[in-house]
Amino acid sequence: MKQTPDKNKLDEFMRSSRLVAGGFLGHDTREVDAIVEADAAAVFALGHTTIGIAERMREVSQQARRGLGTWVGIDATHRAMMQEARGELVCPWPHPGYFHKAVTRVERMDSGETVEFSDLNIHMVEAHGFFEGRGSRFRLEPERLIRVLF
Amino acid sequence: MVSGIGAALAAVVTVAEYFLANYGPCKITINDDKEVTTEGGGSVLAVLTENKIFIPSACGGRGTCALCKLKVMEGGGPLLPTEEPLLTDQEKKDHVRLSCQVKLRSDIRIEIPQELFSIREYEAECARITDLTADMRLFRFELGGSESMEYVPGQYVQLLTPVYAQSDEEVYRAYSVAGDPADKGAVELIIRLVPGGICTTYCFEYLKQGDKVKFNGPYGEFRLSQTDSPIVFIAGGSGMAPIRCMLYQMRNEGIARRATYYFGANKVEELCLVDEMRRFEKELKGFRFVPVVASPEKPWDGETGLVTQAVQRGIEDGGRVEAYLCGSPGMIDASITVLKDRGLTEDRIFYDKFA
Repeated sequence: MKQTPDKNKLDEFMRSSRLVAGGFLGHDTREVDAIVEADAAAVFALGHTTIGIAERMREVSQQARRGLGTWVGIDATHRAMMQEARGELVCPWPHPGYFHKAVTRVERMDSGETVEFSDLNIHMVEAHGFFEGRGSRFRLEPERLIRVLF
Repeated sequence: MVSGIGAALAAVVTVAEYFLANYGPCKITINDDKEVTTEGGGSVLAVLTENKIFIPSACGGRGTCALCKLKVMEGGGPLLPTEEPLLTDQEKKDHVRLSCQVKLRSDIRIEIPQELFSIREYEAECARITDLTADMRLFRFELGGSESMEYVPGQYVQLLTPVYAQSDEEVYRAYSVAGDPADKGAVELIIRLVPGGICTTYCFEYLKQGDKVKFNGPYGEFRLSQTDSPIVFIAGGSGMAPIRCMLYQMRNEGIARRATYYFGANKVEELCLVDEMRRFEKELKGFRFVPVVASPEKPWDGETGLVTQAVQRGIEDGGRVEAYLCGSPGMIDASITVLKDRGLTEDRIFYDKFA
């Protein structure tokens, strides 16, 4: 895949720890575009879309917000909890994108599996199809995310 | 398409500025009194910090917290799109800008509140780290020698996170002072681990007893009023910090206001400093600590549910009450709704929101 100077800069920025501890790419050696393409293929193969996944993430986090840091029942098989912290997270893409530091933990109660995502994750999935690199703190494996959320 | 062009232009400007910009020495005139001359190109916030003039900032200069406002009377250039949403119309008329966004490209004249000159940088030793819950710790930083920091309970400091394995640059983060204000040689902070957080990861995984740290302060207007109105404190998580500090103040100064402290947690094991709060109940006449657990995982005979539900049950007539809140935006917003429902007016509700 051809890397333009802008893409190289974005890769370098996202690999750095300027916005989050450890960066957005973790130990993943792939370029951002390659990560996005591989995850898009995985999402498609599972019959979902990044927009649909982001909508479900947002729906869950909005309900979790009502719990003020405690578990909230989402539906018969899901519960979720949101933890908020001081400050904002900034989208690494070059556009205005500030998100409150809020992390939603969702549990699928019939399996006990959980996933965690921030408000910034919802935006990055929706706007950039980006689930973060492997090894980053908030990497969302599409298969697992879909399995837990839906 | 448009956003793509905008992004490309922004990238070009950034790169061009990096390689081509040479602004030479620029002078900052502060309050028509003090002058600082430095090489141009940096943000006003960064230059002032380098010169030991500390402007509050909780977002590391990213233009999100809006704490670093000051007046730029001359030389600041046009208002930036990043500043627009964070300034009121009146502030724009008054030449208020975000100092982290204003770049020093020529001589500039600014005005800052006089009290900011009293904010200092401190170096301290991490003397003790105490686990409070699974993800919350109490850090004690001792200043050493005869050094001391004067602050008003409720105020916060900005802790410097140095460059470390998971962060490429120094950043500051704001934390409320949690300790006893009479203990002038030390500052205590309660910090909750934020997943992926640059400063909290450093504090939890790298900072050790005996390490040196730097912080500056004190900042903030959150403080007890000088009235005798009954008090309702509401907090959750690390929101415990400023309330604990205020309770020490009440004990030290013999403040005998009736006070009830509602502290919310998800589980019993997420409650912290309960023994200390029980001691305050003995030391402060009229003080009551009400821990509220949403989903007790073991036998619990205290209040259950959301902290706001306990407040709703606990306050019958809020007419004379003053409320002091510290916690997440969601908790604060929900608490304000309940407090108003109980008869408190907005001017009697004071809060420190994690925003």
